[in-house]
Amino acid sequence: MSTSTLPIHDLATDKRPGFDTTLVSEWTKLRTVRSTWILVGLAVVLSIGFSAATALVIGLTSEPIETWSEADRVMSDPITSSMPGLLFSLILLIVLGVTAVTSEYSSRTIRTTFIVNPHRMRVWGAKVIIVGLLGIAIHAIAVPGMFLASQAIYGAYGLKTASITDSDAIRFLLVAILVVSLTYTLISLSFAYVLRGTASAITVAFGFLFLTSNLALLLPEWFQQHVLRYLPDIATNSLSGFTPTDSVLYLSPPAATIVVVAWIGGSLAISAAVLTRRDV
Amino acid sequence: MIELNAVTKRYGSTNAVDHLSLTVQPGQITGFLGPNGAGKTTTMRLILGLDTPTSGTVTVNGQPYRTKTAPMQEVGALIDPSAVHGGRSAYHHLLCQAQAGGLPRHRVDDVLDMVGLSAVAGKKVSGFSLGMHQRLGMASAMLGDPPVLLLDEPVNGLDPEGIQWIRSLLKRFAEEGRTVFVSSHLMSEMEQTADHVLVIGRGQLIADVSMTEFTQRSAKSHVEVVSVRAQDLIPHLEAKGAQIANSTTHSLTVTGLDAAEIGAIAFEQGIPLNELSPRRASLEAAFMELTYESVEYRTHQGSASDAPNVQEIARELVHERTA
Repeated sequence: MSTSTLPIHDLATDKRPGFDTTLVSEWTKLRTVRSTWILVGLAVVLSIGFSAATALVIGLTSEPIETWSEADRVMSDPITSSMPGLLFSLILLIVLGVTAVTSEYSSRTIRTTFIVNPHRMRVWGAKVIIVGLLGIAIHAIAVPGMFLASQAIYGAYGLKTASITDSDAIRFLLVAILVVSLTYTLISLSFAYVLRGTASAITVAFGFLFLTSNLALLLPEWFQQHVLRYLPDIATNSLSGFTPTDSVLYLSPPAATIVVVAWIGGSLAISAAVLTRRDV
Repeated sequence: MIELNAVTKRYGSTNAVDHLSLTVQPGQITGFLGPNGAGKTTTMRLILGLDTPTSGTVTVNGQPYRTKTAPMQEVGALIDPSAVHGGRSAYHHLLCQAQAGGLPRHRVDDVLDMVGLSAVAGKKVSGFSLGMHQRLGMASAMLGDPPVLLLDEPVNGLDPEGIQWIRSLLKRFAEEGRTVFVSSHLMSEMEQTADHVLVIGRGQLIADVSMTEFTQRSAKSHVEVVSVRAQDLIPHLEAKGAQIANSTTHSLTVTGLDAAEIGAIAFEQGIPLNELSPRRASLEAAFMELTYESVEYRTHQGSASDAPNVQEIARELVHERTA
């Protein structure tokens, strides 16, 4: 390897570093590692695949809809029943939010990041936007994919279907694409900034966003009404229409919006505070 | 110019940097020396705003690093060359840094060419050797063509060819009039390149001298005298202005007189000498003496009360060299 001299650098061609240059840099960081695209691919394929498989099982095992009781017909919901694949996309959104941050800590490139750009809030803000947008993009493919695949299969088996132009369907899809994705991605990202380790952040984010709400459903009704429905994932279920209005877990749309925004905003604020104060 | 003013950095109960004040003058190579654990890396991190001092202030060209608008065009740093994401290519590793600093894409090609990594620009960094990591780290420091360079242990772990390469780079930076602040725990590295030396131990400044002065100070020679009547010789030597650095029943370490003068005095007094040998201290030994007290982790068992041993160690080292 030989060494040649460095051409004289013309400072005039440089752009003034700012939030825009940081955004571009953060996007380069995310797009230039293969794991990002494996993650996106897995999220889309696994979620749509699992929903389609579930719809197929439902189709194969269900009696023709003409034989259903009136109550069963009302109860069956082709929108929410098409979403079991969310299990996979949500886990992968957690992994995305966490690893986008912790990979910089584990490789120690976080120091390079802050040497070339010492304005930590700028780096943090760009990371939140880029990772948040990628989270939305994943759900923008996965959620309509799950919905359309399942409806097609339900239709083929003569079951009740929903159209993507139904207002309930539009509401569910919009909330899942915009709100649920950001809830999972950004709360995970916040945990990652606080904990800085991949394993610990994934464990905590998974425990908080999945297990508390699922396990806690076994707890008394009082607990569900006064604690559980204020958890972020349960509040998003009220927004999407997944939670019936007569459930103890139901929150009105304005209340649910406040809860979700407070959780995302609060955890982001803590992560920013920690990042700007701590040594790296 | 880099300035630290009464900076203390505390981790838990230990002060990694303890009330440290120093100035790195522009336009020259300043060597930053100290044993491992002396606080060199912490100081570098404080300068770059990665760590916040517990007390005191740190400025680069009069400004705290974290308030700079275009730091890449002002300061380039190499602090941890192995800090790379193994899955990213060398080109992309540099590209995201260039983009963050608002630098044009062609700068990435320029610096890759400069460090001789153009051929492997598209290769994943995980396959790089230690020397290639060092080159990549140097490329990243040079992206903004900065007038100030901070290099933390740039030759650590390099093979002779790599060391030679770093040396030639440092010389070139100096010729180009850049300010270079380079740390090392190896004195010999600094001998050939630095204009000025800052020595640090246990987080405190031990020496702040020009290289010339440091060389003069440390090149001070002494004479080993072995005699069965060594103790009788002491007053006669001291009367002629000698200092007895160390003495045992039969041996003396004498400074201030050369071997011929000591021999003449012994002859006059009729004291037989068994051995009379001039020793020339190397820079390395001088450095060891200077920092001995401040070495945090020592392989020798023993406490600070054993400190006089340093001369023993330094002497052994010199013996080996002159043997």
